[in-house]
Amino acid sequence: MARRVIGQAERRFAALVLLPAAGLLLVFRIVPLIWGFVLSFTNSDGLGQADWVGLANYRGVVTDQAFRDSLVNTVLVLATLPIWILLPMLLALLIHQGVPGGRFFRAVYFLPAVLSSVIVGSIFNVVLRFDGSLNAALKAIGLSPVDWLGNGGTALASLVAVHLWSTFGMSVLIFLAGLSTINQEMLEAAKLDGAKFWARLRFIVIPTLRPIIEFVAVVTTIGLLTGMFGLIYVLTAGGPGTSTTLPEFLIWLEQGKLNRPGYAAAISAVLFALMAGVAWAQVRIMSRNAEL
Amino acid sequence: MAAVGKRERRWLWIAAIPMALLALSCIYPIVFAINNALKTSKGYILDRFGMVTDPTVQNFADAWGRARFSEYFVNSVLVTAGAVGLLLLLSSLVGFALAMLRFPFRRLVFVAILGALMIPIQVVLVPFYRTVEGLGLLNTRVGLVLAYTAFFLPFSIYLMTAFYRGLPRELLEAARMDGARFLEVWWHVMLPLGRPALLTLGILNTLYCWNDVLISLLVLQDRRTLMVGIAALRGEYTTNVPLLAAGIVLAAAPIVLVYLVFQRRIVGGISVGAVKG
Repeated sequence: MARRVIGQAERRFAALVLLPAAGLLLVFRIVPLIWGFVLSFTNSDGLGQADWVGLANYRGVVTDQAFRDSLVNTVLVLATLPIWILLPMLLALLIHQGVPGGRFFRAVYFLPAVLSSVIVGSIFNVVLRFDGSLNAALKAIGLSPVDWLGNGGTALASLVAVHLWSTFGMSVLIFLAGLSTINQEMLEAAKLDGAKFWARLRFIVIPTLRPIIEFVAVVTTIGLLTGMFGLIYVLTAGGPGTSTTLPEFLIWLEQGKLNRPGYAAAISAVLFALMAGVAWAQVRIMSRNAEL
Repeated sequence: MAAVGKRERRWLWIAAIPMALLALSCIYPIVFAINNALKTSKGYILDRFGMVTDPTVQNFADAWGRARFSEYFVNSVLVTAGAVGLLLLLSSLVGFALAMLRFPFRRLVFVAILGALMIPIQVVLVPFYRTVEGLGLLNTRVGLVLAYTAFFLPFSIYLMTAFYRGLPRELLEAARMDGARFLEVWWHVMLPLGRPALLTLGILNTLYCWNDVLISLLVLQDRRTLMVGIAALRGEYTTNVPLLAAGIVLAAAPIVLVYLVFQRRIVGGISVGAVKG
């Protein structure tokens, strides 16, 4: 009897504590998700008038040239994923191996990541201009200047490069955390047995890092799909034309028009479908690591 | 790591060269912003790339006054402080419950909260905006505080749960034996013990809230936070780079300071979730 009373108090407290958190998540995320899904099947004009139109919005989306371009851009951006994993991994390995100045590098590499994407974007907007300092530097060493942001051929690459520059430090830190879990005795033993750097890398380091590589891949992919708004907003505004428009920016443009929320919601639903797989992978990795 | 072979040592020295160049590029924006913020607009036009010769603080005064950065600064500080406070309160309470208490569907609740991570703001942009509007929270700082809390809560709860998971349940049971209520256990035991995790979490959330632009653009349209102010400055005065640079220095200084002071905390917090807790 006494035990049951204790258990009840425990449950009541847990429920009481969970209520406000669950409420916030419901009101601002879960209900809007369902609402948006329903909205995507209507021709709502944003003023209350709405009729069920079935898949009309989705048909409109797939035939919309801007959306198609944004999908192509997404594929191009995602194709750079190996760089996002290999570069930070290499840097972390070098720091872990005791490269001269390693502690300094670790601290400095993360610096861009603490700056807002708006700040990074504003600075690079000036640096990458046709008359900006990058072109001035190129000219100084005898190369011809490039209109990095104003040229459809280079704008997307510039955007991705700036995003990479501003976030690679985060992945370096994650890899370093992973490297610190490597069994040092095993590593030393292998070294004494004469195993060279590459052999140690292949047989000890990479296998240990597998879950970290997975995690970085997942987090980076989510970042590429949903974390570039601030940069696009100030660096290129999606242009020239649609050459740097990604779905998340297209949703913003449609939302801003306010007159066809159903259409914007349909693009949102497509973005959700695109990222749901990786996002679920992230949730699974994280809940596995919490060992609850 | 000691005892690296001589050959490997040499390779490391060679690798250090491009790594140092990369490090320079990471410092460059800060130099760029400070250097240009100190130039007069005439000085900037005459020499855009060189170091400043006759430094002036006029741009900071202009940004703070004419460009209304004083207002944006207050908005950013209030909203960030409010959201971080609320996030710490809720996540330590929920983390305590999820990690230590026994109640039905505990694991399911945990996964459901984490599952909210799958719903980024872009995916719910339209209905989210309407919700904020419908609740009368548009253009209110309270609205932005609640929105930030909703969007950064799952990770915060995750971090606190993972941290409290590492503490023995005997702590709770001993305190209960002494007649403490759950709220008292939380206040007297869990909050003090959770301090390292709460500090890490507080810093990370400060970073996220301070740097956000999308949610802030939606919720505080007329009143603006610093980051929205910077974005707007870029549009309104495209040519006035010194003013923009001064705004950037004002907006970035607090966060860079936080980073320099609490560097090790951030480093620990970033890898939460990636490695086993």
